[in-house]
Amino acid sequence: MAQLTAFSYCSGDSAVHAMDVRVKMALLMLVSLTVLGAGPAALALMSVCLLFLICYLHLPLKSICSELRYFLVLLVLVFVARALTTPGDPLISTRWVSISREGVLAGAIVVWRMALVVLLGLAFTATTSPPRIKAAVQWMLKPIPLIPRARIATMMALLLRLIPLIFTQLSETMDAQRARGIENRKNPFYRMTKFSIPFLRRSFETADRLALAMDARCYSDQRTDPLLTASRRDIGVLSAAAAFFILIYLV
Amino acid sequence: MGVIELENLNYRFPGGPPVLRNVNLSISTGTLVVIAGENGSGKTTLLRHLNGLLLPDSGTVVIDGRPVVDDIRRARQLVGMMFQDADSQIVGETVGADVAFGPENLCLDPHDVSEKVAAALAAVGLTALADQRTNLLSGGEKRRLSIAGILAMEPKIVVFDEPFTSLDYPGTQQVLKEILKLKQSGRTVLVTTHDLEKIIYYADRLIIMHAGKIVRDGIPDDVVGEVETFGVRQPCASRMGLEVAPWHS
Repeated sequence: MAQLTAFSYCSGDSAVHAMDVRVKMALLMLVSLTVLGAGPAALALMSVCLLFLICYLHLPLKSICSELRYFLVLLVLVFVARALTTPGDPLISTRWVSISREGVLAGAIVVWRMALVVLLGLAFTATTSPPRIKAAVQWMLKPIPLIPRARIATMMALLLRLIPLIFTQLSETMDAQRARGIENRKNPFYRMTKFSIPFLRRSFETADRLALAMDARCYSDQRTDPLLTASRRDIGVLSAAAAFFILIYLV
Repeated sequence: MGVIELENLNYRFPGGPPVLRNVNLSISTGTLVVIAGENGSGKTTLLRHLNGLLLPDSGTVVIDGRPVVDDIRRARQLVGMMFQDADSQIVGETVGADVAFGPENLCLDPHDVSEKVAAALAAVGLTALADQRTNLLSGGEKRRLSIAGILAMEPKIVVFDEPFTSLDYPGTQQVLKEILKLKQSGRTVLVTTHDLEKIIYYADRLIIMHAGKIVRDGIPDDVVGEVETFGVRQPCASRMGLEVAPWHS
């Protein structure tokens, strides 16, 4: 069965798990914005904090790295691109390629920032169940008029629900075609057509059945709003974090 | 008067042949009714009329004293439906979120929703998996989750469309156990199947459908001898002239 293991919720009873999802989202935005403007010292401080958080949450670092291997490749590409294209004092210079000291530093900072934001996102999704994230988005859309927020929340839920199902169908369709020797056909257009038609038909049929099942359970846009409660501790954490990050930004 | 009353029900899909032909049926409260028939005999179409997913071309469907067309929302709350493919019935990202889907649609108070979710999960033994992602459940657990989703809406009638399809032995036993619990709780249970072996022992009534019509209707012992005429396999014990044994220990 196809599974998405990175960026998935790990149930637990830590203080971060118990924190109000809106506060966690606000913190995520605040830290991400701070990271974008932070220098090496601030990044180092935040990295230490983040490592402490990952250890506290008992997140499996090894499997996280394995899950994020394609993202690591992206980071390497970003670093190389920066190092090669930023002008400055040459660190290594050959006839074809010149790597500048400024380029290496700029590349390292960008990669560091991107890695921190992704790890923060991972800590957020690992400690927040999808229904809570959906509830927070629904709550945040409340002040915006003419937005069908219940429908948007349901669409988010269905998206999260359907992605693994679609991956399973994708892998089953590919296996079924391999079993019938599709690999012997070299024409990519032929292969794509033969693959996409049954796959899309199956996906649409699944969507139809899902819609029918939702109807059978009285689905409408008029639904119970999710219950969200922020404690004094949540507000305290948010205020302290805001003060801390404003200080980092100013320094 | 039964909790389900169908009168002269006719239905055809647009451009197709008639799927239901003049179906008349009355089912009383608390019974376990098995509807059997070969593929395309109209079993699923019949079930979908009970909660207004399909509306008849002619005839009436009355649930608990009130026509379905008068209040479809009420019919859908009263008639919980478990579909053939449990995977495409699961809407929530986690087990708890899926069970909450129905009560939230009924606009219940959030505290009531939580209570109903907890009770439904406890009833099917899935409390420990409340935060589990639904795509990680086994086939039997998915069926139990579908049942919990139905129970949370507190229906009077529960209908199962081919509930044993693609299930292994433990999964089948789990689902069978839940069906029997529903019957014991006083609910009316309808099960469609073409595999009588697993459920016939517990049925109060056996209905055979063929080409959109009810062709046999009675006590299982009276009807079971004729089922093979209509494309349904007779249970092994009954074929050998023995008494049908319970499938679930």
